[in-house]
Amino acid sequence: MDYLYDGTFEGLMTCIYYHYKKGKATGIYVISNYQQSIVYQSEIVETDILKAEIVSDAINRLISKEAYVHVYYCYLSNDAEKENLILDFLIFAFKYGRNTMNFYTHEKVLPINEIYKRVAREEHRVLGILRFSEIGGILYAKYSPDNDISILLADHFADRYKHEKFIIYDEKRKKVVVYANNNWEIKENINIDDIEFSIKETMIQKLWKQYFTDLAIKERKNINLQFQFVPSRYRKNMTEFK
Amino acid sequence: MDDNLFEKLRILSDAAKYDVSCVSSGVERKNNTVGGIGNASAAGICHAWSSDGRCISLLKILLTNDCIYDCKYCLNRVTNPIERATFTPEEVAELTIQFYRRNYIEGLFLSSAVEKSPDYTMENIYRALELLRYKYNFWGYVHVKVIPGANALLIQKTGMLADRVSVNIELPTRESLSILAPQKKVENILKPMSLIHNEISRAIEDKNHFSNAPRFVPGGQSTQMIIGATPDSDKTILNVSQNLYDKFRMKRVFFSAYIPVMSSPNLPAVSTMPPLLREHRLYQADWLMRYYYFNSSELFTEIEPNLDLEFDPKMMYALRNIDRFPIEINKASYEELLRIPGLGVTSAQRIIRERKNAQISYDSLKKMRTVLKRAKYFITVKGKYYGNTKLDPDEIKAEIRMKEIQKQISIFEI
Ligand code: SF4
Repeated sequence: MDYLYDGTFEGLMTCIYYHYKKGKATGIYVISNYQQSIVYQSEIVETDILKAEIVSDAINRLISKEAYVHVYYCYLSNDAEKENLILDFLIFAFKYGRNTMNFYTHEKVLPINEIYKRVAREEHRVLGILRFSEIGGILYAKYSPDNDISILLADHFADRYKHEKFIIYDEKRKKVVVYANNNWEIKENINIDDIEFSIKETMIQKLWKQYFTDLAIKERKNINLQFQFVPSRYRKNMTEFK
Repeated sequence: MDDNLFEKLRILSDAAKYDVSCVSSGVERKNNTVGGIGNASAAGICHAWSSDGRCISLLKILLTNDCIYDCKYCLNRVTNPIERATFTPEEVAELTIQFYRRNYIEGLFLSSAVEKSPDYTMENIYRALELLRYKYNFWGYVHVKVIPGANALLIQKTGMLADRVSVNIELPTRESLSILAPQKKVENILKPMSLIHNEISRAIEDKNHFSNAPRFVPGGQSTQMIIGATPDSDKTILNVSQNLYDKFRMKRVFFSAYIPVMSSPNLPAVSTMPPLLREHRLYQADWLMRYYYFNSSELFTEIEPNLDLEFDPKMMYALRNIDRFPIEINKASYEELLRIPGLGVTSAQRIIRERKNAQISYDSLKKMRTVLKRAKYFITVKGKYYGNTKLDPDEIKAEIRMKEIQKQISIFEI
């Protein structure tokens, strides 16, 4: 049976629940991307928070926290096969329990580790290169990450900008993190047009650009290295490259 | 904020990009290639990479470049006719907070030349820090330089607000210092170091008794040495570092390749290239001492007081001590694994972990993404040696050189 879910993490966990309690999953897919299979039947799974929690809890308890974090990061990735990699991994992991993560290179474990690393690397990179501008007293950042990492950024910036208000806008997914008064939330299907900057904002951006440009030691120019650290797809939203 | 801020920022950040003397960052140029932990990420977050590929995480500026001293190796020395500029403490604070809010930087690295007097300069550094902490309520990272010779009370007040402070040792021996920086007295450098060390220890002690005890440079103190301006050997340099680590619990000793700025009988010729590779090797050796359980004495022999420029220090160590190799991957302890050239902390940990399940094969090493390019000459896996040479330093060297040349040729052919 192919299980179809709504794209949420809870939905995915509910599918895992049904795999064990109802009938083996031949595959898990997001409803909107699903291509009808000739071989397998499919069933739409209604997301059930309680069932999802049972599975999340079991991963944490019977396998490890590390495994849970890996699965969650994998879910946030843009990997086309992620649901089935997670399914395969969990089937393996529930068998080997606490010892699972020691099988670093096992074919069921390695993909999860690699995807986790990719997402974590992007998360870490974006913590540094996300650029905010001040607009009417609010800090505003626009970006388009490869993976759906907004939720991973929220706590970091909520802590960094404790006494401020901010908005982080994922233009690819039309998703925002909104933070004010010690609380953040995520909103979907939002469209934000480009906004004009104040004179002071423009001046600070220019100061930064000047500083950034001056800092480079010309005799040691190494553009390739710079591209490795900041691939071009990130640059359109970075003040110093505009 | 007004327009002459652009001018000041240009002059006072320009000085900061050449890592020499008061202007240096205390941040390494390159990622360390020896091991896994503590690359740029452990030091914090990189916010930008300049076109020379360096990570930018702090706003690195001088408060002023208007100096009364005449250190021979420094562009800001009083006898050098250059453009001078001075920030007000308010300007430093405002720039920092505005850059920080936009996520351009992680914090501030504030250094300074000595304007008017050590106390006058130290006072202004303190003022900038005070504004940042209390007016702007900024509790991000701040590293400031302590000016040798400044009043102890001022240093103490500064330490209570800064995350890290540094007093530069500048040169590894008393003789070198008296020739090149005659106004700087060794005592004036060691005194604040010791004061800071004592205050840090006391703050830690107090913390054990009262949870709200005042903080004192929680990030510890660091210092810096200029490399290549004097004939001092790597052995001398690393022994001084070892002493500073032991005596003052330094967090880091930074090395800075000397960039020739003037001709003097006591300095290398102006045409000399800055010894960047040597600086890099010193960092690698320092890394081995701090994270890989090496002692500085293991690295040198009676006849060789310098590191090898061609091979990294771990490789050099292995080649100079070939009788301790090969090391069997399936039997070696963690410490032994760390002695294998090319094998870092992450790989060593993975090997230990994976070994619990089954014997490790050469193939699974590859899958773990262990870099075997250099390691393979120094290991056996299930008893088998995988280097295509004999276990002989000269053969291994020749093999590695050949590989390098082949690589270069194939790059040209493409
Ligand atoms: S004290 Fe010496 S090293 Fe520091 S800025 Fe002045 S001249 Fe340069």
